[in-house]
Amino acid sequence: MESKSLSRDCNNPNPDPKMAFHFLRALLHIQQSAATTSFTGRRRRIKRAAYASMAYSSGARRAWSRALIHTLRRRRQRQQRARTAVALPRRIRVARPPRREVAAADQAQVLRKLVPGGTGMEYCMLLEETADYIRCLATQVQLMRNVVDSVTNS
Amino acid sequence: MESAQSSGVGSGNSDTYTPEIAESLRFQEEIQSLIDPSFDGSPAAGGSFTALLGLPANQAVELLHEQGPGELPVSGAASSSPTAGEMWRLRVGEEAAPALRLPLDCSPTFPSNAALVERAARFSVFATAESPASSTGGGPSPRLKTEPADSDSPPTLPIAAEKPQRPTKRKESEKSKGKTPAKKSKNAEENTGGDKLPYVHVRARRGQATDSHSLAERARREKINARMKLLQELVPGCSKITGTALVLDEIINHVQSLQRQVEFLSMRLAAVNPRIDFSGLDSFLSAECGPLTAGNGRGGAVLDPAMWSSEATAAASGTRRLPQQQFWHVDLMRPQQPSTMWERDGASHPHFLLNPATSLFVYDPANSVPLNSNQLKTEL
Repeated sequence: MESKSLSRDCNNPNPDPKMAFHFLRALLHIQQSAATTSFTGRRRRIKRAAYASMAYSSGARRAWSRALIHTLRRRRQRQQRARTAVALPRRIRVARPPRREVAAADQAQVLRKLVPGGTGMEYCMLLEETADYIRCLATQVQLMRNVVDSVTNS
Repeated sequence: MESAQSSGVGSGNSDTYTPEIAESLRFQEEIQSLIDPSFDGSPAAGGSFTALLGLPANQAVELLHEQGPGELPVSGAASSSPTAGEMWRLRVGEEAAPALRLPLDCSPTFPSNAALVERAARFSVFATAESPASSTGGGPSPRLKTEPADSDSPPTLPIAAEKPQRPTKRKESEKSKGKTPAKKSKNAEENTGGDKLPYVHVRARRGQATDSHSLAERARREKINARMKLLQELVPGCSKITGTALVLDEIINHVQSLQRQVEFLSMRLAAVNPRIDFSGLDSFLSAECGPLTAGNGRGGAVLDPAMWSSEATAAASGTRRLPQQQFWHVDLMRPQQPSTMWERDGASHPHFLLNPATSLFVYDPANSVPLNSNQLKTEL
């Protein structure tokens, strides 16, 4: 069996310090600017910070983290562009042709939608990226739980 | 090609062989172009399988023109068979494995070609070597004898087993059934013992199809199964489930549940956030980054000065609680960001904080945690 780095510290996620610092700094940032933002806006930002710290911790080594960073940046750019854009006259909505119903029974397809960047991968790459993604997600969840616990207990 | 093979069976006629030689040489060039990034360039070097191709081709050419198959293969084999015997399992796998790792639609013919060539080369080496001098000679020689019985390749091949003039027939796919049902060796990631280079050393199991396509497919299936096993270990409660569909369902559920948990936790954090008390956060951070050593060996400023400044102002009471064991292996942050935050912030008082705090973040399991808190208290 190939012993790749996937099998190391798989079930007990040791919190990654890079992830921790990034996330906590982002939290601080959000809280400092959070005097006026709503609850939903804050929540969205925290979620985005969580995914960002996850992606930065395994930087460009993993395909899913690259795709995730790309998605986040594109979303940020689109937000900024939307903010500075001139209000366009109301467009006439063109009816899109109904999208072909993809059979979600195909599990690989479902998995591809879940894992960032999964649509461009073949099957065994997908499995490998899923394993790393699961591990990183578990680490992130653990980190967030720690933060919440420490904040609510203090 | 078939007619050329069949016509070239019994005769040492050089007229019929030259198109074959040309064909084999062209094939060799094709192989070289295929593996161009790793091509040695020197046919005598024990590097690539084109070297292996080079040797039998030379031998074959000599054979054909001199028509003295008795002397030449022995003399040639004596010199080449030790090297060839090592090389016969060669870097084909090394080239095949990166190709296999590539998306399979990238170079679809390559693994089959490589496997073909490898087996053909192996076969041709042992066809020329009358006495199997290499250590693996014991295996292939019974295999050669069983070739007439088992092979379902073009019927010229069993005859080719006998005739040493036949090593130019490299394009034939050899069906070699391993008589030993034994070791199916693994993919290229696994190093075989003693050799530095990983290579594919796939031997067909008993009763399984052995053409190149199914071999490559089987290698791929093995990879997929290995990854599925890893995933099963990762997802809790998945190791009992048999059947890939259910396992995949479980994996999907797990990923979805993890994503939902991230969402819920972010909601909780957003709710908690307005009244976040940074003394608590500070103690959380200090405990987690553990004890300190004197110097920051890594040199990177791990800290975020803005964070520490706000925490210093917020936690003026300086009660440093030590939360429980959170062993966070402290690593570096990117050194640019603290400096930029520093400039942006322009705060003056984190100066003195920075020094103990930078030393805070070097992980030393030998030191004790209370030392950290004492130092912090004295500094503040």
